[in-house]
Amino acid sequence: MTALDLSLRDQARAIAEGEVDPTELLESCLERIEERNPALNAVVAAFPEESRRMLAEAPEGPLHGVPVLIKDEWPLPWRAERVAAAQVLADLQPGESGPFRALRDAGAVIAGVANMHELGSGSTGAVSVYGPARNPWDTERCPGGSSSGPAAAVAGGVVSGAVGADGLGSIRYPASYCGLTGLKPTFGRSAMDGHHLPHTETIVSGGLCRDAGDCRLLDSVLFGEELPAGKPSRLRIGVARDPFWDCTPGVAEACESSLEALRQELDGEVTELELPHEPLYLPAALLVAQSEEAAVLTPENLNSLDPELSVINRGLMKLRALLPGTLTARAFLVRALARRTLADLFQRVDLLAWPATPAVAPPLSDPAVELPSGLTTADPSNARQGTLANLTGIPGISVPVGLDQGMPVGLQLLGPWGSDALLLDAAEALEHATDREFVELRPAAVA
Amino acid sequence: MDPETAFQGYLDGALETFGIEADEAERAVMRGVWHLYEAGMNRLIDADLTEVELEADLDLSRSPEA
Repeated sequence: MTALDLSLRDQARAIAEGEVDPTELLESCLERIEERNPALNAVVAAFPEESRRMLAEAPEGPLHGVPVLIKDEWPLPWRAERVAAAQVLADLQPGESGPFRALRDAGAVIAGVANMHELGSGSTGAVSVYGPARNPWDTERCPGGSSSGPAAAVAGGVVSGAVGADGLGSIRYPASYCGLTGLKPTFGRSAMDGHHLPHTETIVSGGLCRDAGDCRLLDSVLFGEELPAGKPSRLRIGVARDPFWDCTPGVAEACESSLEALRQELDGEVTELELPHEPLYLPAALLVAQSEEAAVLTPENLNSLDPELSVINRGLMKLRALLPGTLTARAFLVRALARRTLADLFQRVDLLAWPATPAVAPPLSDPAVELPSGLTTADPSNARQGTLANLTGIPGISVPVGLDQGMPVGLQLLGPWGSDALLLDAAEALEHATDREFVELRPAAVA
Repeated sequence: MDPETAFQGYLDGALETFGIEADEAERAVMRGVWHLYEAGMNRLIDADLTEVELEADLDLSRSPEA
């Protein structure tokens, strides 16, 4: 074990106390990228000279000298983002993005750019212009998307923290598939400047780390404010079985067991409830998200798409251009309905809980999952679990709670607007209740 | 008309109307994606939303009750 294998907060503390030389830490990180990335394809660009310059100029801060990765979704001053696509219908230029500034001002060192699902449009990470990132637990399986590279890199021990983005579950799915903790912040609280969809109402930046303590540190940097730690008790946890617990038996067992452990740890209560109007939320979330880039989907643009763009995204973009406005208008009404429904629900419970993904990571070659409701591709069943938070703005977190078929399982907790710190508290309570068993698990290849 | 045929007719007409070119592989993706989400979209069309009002000062970082 080297300093690179320490938690993000232990790396920061060790540097601050002079126990670890940040120059050596960065060099070992760059070496590890060279060593492990051929198997993981998690890092799509490294720039040692720029990283060394960041370190040389790093101010004192909560992440002083700590290497991290950032998803290929934001520009850096020396590199425009590619969103893992051969073509993006936006003018992408190098520049200072909000997440870059937040990391730089905290003293962090960006060691590279992490892979993602092409254009952020999938939950598996199986499609990328760079080739897919691979899950360190089984490199033939999906790492989850769209923040595939950040998750694969952290689970693979390349770095201890990486910045991802979550527009329709894109932090929580890869956290679940790779055995990490991933927070989707309340909308608007984390740094987003410089994103190629500047008026997004669904996408947020957030950290992927091995545990909640590291997420608290990294997300505090992205928020520009400390997310204080607390010790919640007597939390009321709402469980909506239908349809969110339509999951594989192994996922159900791990999530049920951890939920009971959390209830006991918090001296809380678990309440069964129904989520009114639930069948409307997934289509509404998809439509609200697709509307964010609809203005650029002109016939001229669509007729000159780069043939290197995947056929899936070429077809998706053309389909989006043809969706009736009536559907989108009704989606915005459903968003209002969902927000009022949740506001009412959060008067009665403090948290909602269900599996972050209904099955463990499927094979990259065939990303399908067999659920009690039938065989389906991973995307729609994952989207069912994750998109409510993006539709309404509430925060959510995926927490590792066990293994099924040797692959990680994630429990998702959702809370009311602004409850980001509470979600981290609950995740830490769950870690305590399970003696940190699941956050300490490592893939055999990097153990 | 069965739903698949109906959607194919819509797709062909809309592509032609808006002058958007699509090869067979792209059309297959459009059909496949629509098939995945068609039931939900139909529920959205059929839902009674007459009593729902949009939020006047939408702030997604806060509860609508705040």
